Amino acid sequence: MELLQKMIRWTPQLLAGAKITILLTLASVSAGLIISVFLALGKMSKNKIIRAICSAYVFFFRGTPLLMQLYFVYYGLPEINPALTINNRFLAAFIAYGLNSGAYCCEIIRAAIQSIDKGQFEASKALGMNYGQTMKLIILPQSIRRLIPPVGNEFIMMLKDASLVSIIALADITKVTRSIQSSTSSSLVYIPAMILYLIITAIFTIVFNRLEKKYSVYE
Amino acid sequence: MSMIKTEDICASFGKLDVLKHVSLTVEPREVVCIIGPSGAGKSTYLRTLNHLEHIKNGKIFIEDKLLDYYENGERKYKIPPKERAAELLEVGMVFQRFNLFPHKTVLQNVMIAPMNVKKKSEADARKKAIELLTRVGLADKMDAYPNKLSGGQQQRVAIARALAMEPKIMLFDEPTSALDPELVGEVLSVMKQLAEDGMTMIVVTHEMGFAREVADRVVFMYDGQIAEQGTPEQIFQNPQNERLQQFLKSVISQ
Repeated sequence: MELLQKMIRWTPQLLAGAKITILLTLASVSAGLIISVFLALGKMSKNKIIRAICSAYVFFFRGTPLLMQLYFVYYGLPEINPALTINNRFLAAFIAYGLNSGAYCCEIIRAAIQSIDKGQFEASKALGMNYGQTMKLIILPQSIRRLIPPVGNEFIMMLKDASLVSIIALADITKVTRSIQSSTSSSLVYIPAMILYLIITAIFTIVFNRLEKKYSVYE
Repeated sequence: MSMIKTEDICASFGKLDVLKHVSLTVEPREVVCIIGPSGAGKSTYLRTLNHLEHIKNGKIFIEDKLLDYYENGERKYKIPPKERAAELLEVGMVFQRFNLFPHKTVLQNVMIAPMNVKKKSEADARKKAIELLTRVGLADKMDAYPNKLSGGQQQRVAIARALAMEPKIMLFDEPTSALDPELVGEVLSVMKQLAEDGMTMIVVTHEMGFAREVADRVVFMYDGQIAEQGTPEQIFQNPQNERLQQFLKSVISQ
């Protein structure tokens, strides 16, 4: 009973943390998706230089720990040039996470585009469509259905990676939980915190299942 | 004026030579059927005409305009991309596997290219699409998605989709090879109607009955070359080439 009361008392703080966690996840993966469309098209480009740049980007962001990328954006960039100082912690996290997510989504989008039957490109070409029209009207819309499951996965992974921002003192769920733990010297706060993560994950899962159904009408 | 003229076309996949000096001229309103065993280069030849396959050597003219000219893998002539795109719009293509756009309804499949490539208004594109779908007997399927149609119906939509761009030449790449036997007839009858309406057509086919009945000229390809060509009577009743005689025997004995 006492535990339940404690949990209720902690709820407002945890919910405030959840707001940060959710916003950061949504914003980062959304930005990542936009970046990744260009990266994916770039990686499939005929131009060697564009291909090399996009590949290097993906290699870098997938090949180094997200935690280090976050540290570097927040602490490292100002040292290179004070003009690059980002005082807003949320903004710093968003930049690091968005760039990182772009690299992971790039591979998702590239795989989805390349899974579209070659005949679709040929039919578009035979009808006189140029590359841009073919991508915009024919290929990308068909890729969306195949993107949904892995992008849903990316959201859920990012949700938990977002807990790393506690190290730059951004008050997400994990940071809030740690503060409550140290101020009350009780570790039971992890129970409602984990439940909160599960609830958010469940919501993401439901939304993506719905989306998948909606885009499956023609398959 | 010829509709399509090719001179000395050579193409290869890696080290394998698929086309070896193919020359063929197709006149307006002519229906040419290309027959031959698989691997003879029939489809590859057809695809070079629409730039779906690169050539290494030879010239391709469409309506007497030179579109491609290569000598031993080296490009000898470059037409401005806009002119080339405009000329290629005169060539429509129907594929063996239909290649309809699965995320679009039947009507949208037929409207999408005229609206986006020819910048037709939606109303005009719709009117034309309805007219064409009626012509291929699918007016009642306009709002269906392709996956709800039989193979024969899908192929008829694909024909309507190609016709919506108002091409002067239609290429058919084994249009009935992926169909169940009972669905072949409906597609062939649409094609026959098209031929009677005066469309210039090149048809790669295994349907000997269609070639005999509809073609003005039958071309027999073997090993990347045109081995024999002539009227259906000449080809089917009095074949000269030994390979053609063998081929016809094997086709008829099936």
